[in-house]
Amino acid sequence: MTFSLLHATDFADRLLYKIIPPLKAGMIVLADRYTYTAFARDVTRGVDRLWVRELYSFAVRPDLSLYFRVPIDVSVDRLLARRVKLKFYEAGMDLGWSTNPVESFRLFQGKVLEEYDQLVDEFGLRVVDASRSITEQQRLVREMIAEHVKTTSAVEVVDDEPVNA
Amino acid sequence: MNPLTPDPSTGSGSSPELDPSVEPLPLDEGANGEIQGGRYYGRGVPYLPIDGYPGKLIAIEGTDGVGRSTQIRLLREWLEVKGYGVIETGWTRSPLMQPTIEIAKSSNTLNKLTFVLLYATDFADRLEKEIIPALKAGFIVLSDRYIFTALARAGVRGVDRQWLRTLYGFAIAPHLTFYLNVDVKTLSRRVLESRGMDYWESGMDLKHGDDIYDSFRTYQNRLLKEYASMADEFHFRVVDARRTVDRIQDELRRQVDAFLDPDGVKSLD
Repeated sequence: MTFSLLHATDFADRLLYKIIPPLKAGMIVLADRYTYTAFARDVTRGVDRLWVRELYSFAVRPDLSLYFRVPIDVSVDRLLARRVKLKFYEAGMDLGWSTNPVESFRLFQGKVLEEYDQLVDEFGLRVVDASRSITEQQRLVREMIAEHVKTTSAVEVVDDEPVNA
Repeated sequence: MNPLTPDPSTGSGSSPELDPSVEPLPLDEGANGEIQGGRYYGRGVPYLPIDGYPGKLIAIEGTDGVGRSTQIRLLREWLEVKGYGVIETGWTRSPLMQPTIEIAKSSNTLNKLTFVLLYATDFADRLEKEIIPALKAGFIVLSDRYIFTALARAGVRGVDRQWLRTLYGFAIAPHLTFYLNVDVKTLSRRVLESRGMDYWESGMDLKHGDDIYDSFRTYQNRLLKEYASMADEFHFRVVDARRTVDRIQDELRRQVDAFLDPDGVKSLD
């Protein structure tokens, strides 16, 4: 519970200082992870599914949510190939499912991925196959984003308030 | 949309993330609309079943400076003499969160929402690490303030009340909730006689003005109204806190005794 609530606090802080102001200014906000991470991770840790959704009901619904889906084996291989030391909580070591970090990671993140799969339909996440090459993924992502953002406008829109006001 | 005040009646601000089939969670789920003491208010903590734990949770609520800690100290002595195991828990006292909350309060970056969530984190920590283990072991848990303080403070600051109640759905309903009731005039004098008025207790963050005395009165008035509005909803046992310490303590002991020992078997006095 404390894990869930601390992350919610951090999110609330970023929402009010880093997300809402630029949205008000008409800017594009790219969020690396969003509430869906909390939904998947916290529920895997045993927090109530509906409660965590209600908890985050103060969040702004994204115009577009991309989910980079990757099989657990690919994920583990990539991390280990870079010799990343698996973090305690990232590997779900706090749950005591395994004393081996890699095994724990596999079990925990496997469950997290199952939760994500449920979120895809529930929240209309757009899935990107993240086992493909970076170039291919980027091409897909740009196409998806282009549907939402006008990239044709060549004229910079100048602020409507006089500069010397 | 102001995320701090989603208005469920319009639908526009309420739960934009939520599946439409997910209804707001009702707080009262009992057959007679009453949550029994020792049960979760809402959806609870799925990995912590608490049914049948022998301990008792007694909450002492009341605004700042009303005399809660004095009463709790006396109540504890009396209970221990009677042979009960007692632990105390108090708002923002969790080892995990206390330093963070102090830092946050002293900076200017805290807003209504993060304020609420920091308190909730502190409470969750104490619930898991202090309250539930003690109830499991058969202790009497005396809680100096409970979630009602959070509901009152956030309610006064304009945070959506339904959201707050759902948030605290992981809290356990106390077996007894005493509310020490006081008027602002008595309270002002009592606080000034002891430690003086403090920034947060005077609601200075709400910008009612620079005068701490006026702000204290305005803020505490609103807080007291907020508490009063919860009295029925959460079955407060309202205790007149304008009386002397001894008179208040007598009343608390009488009620606690009647609850713990209805047949008078263990009664010593």
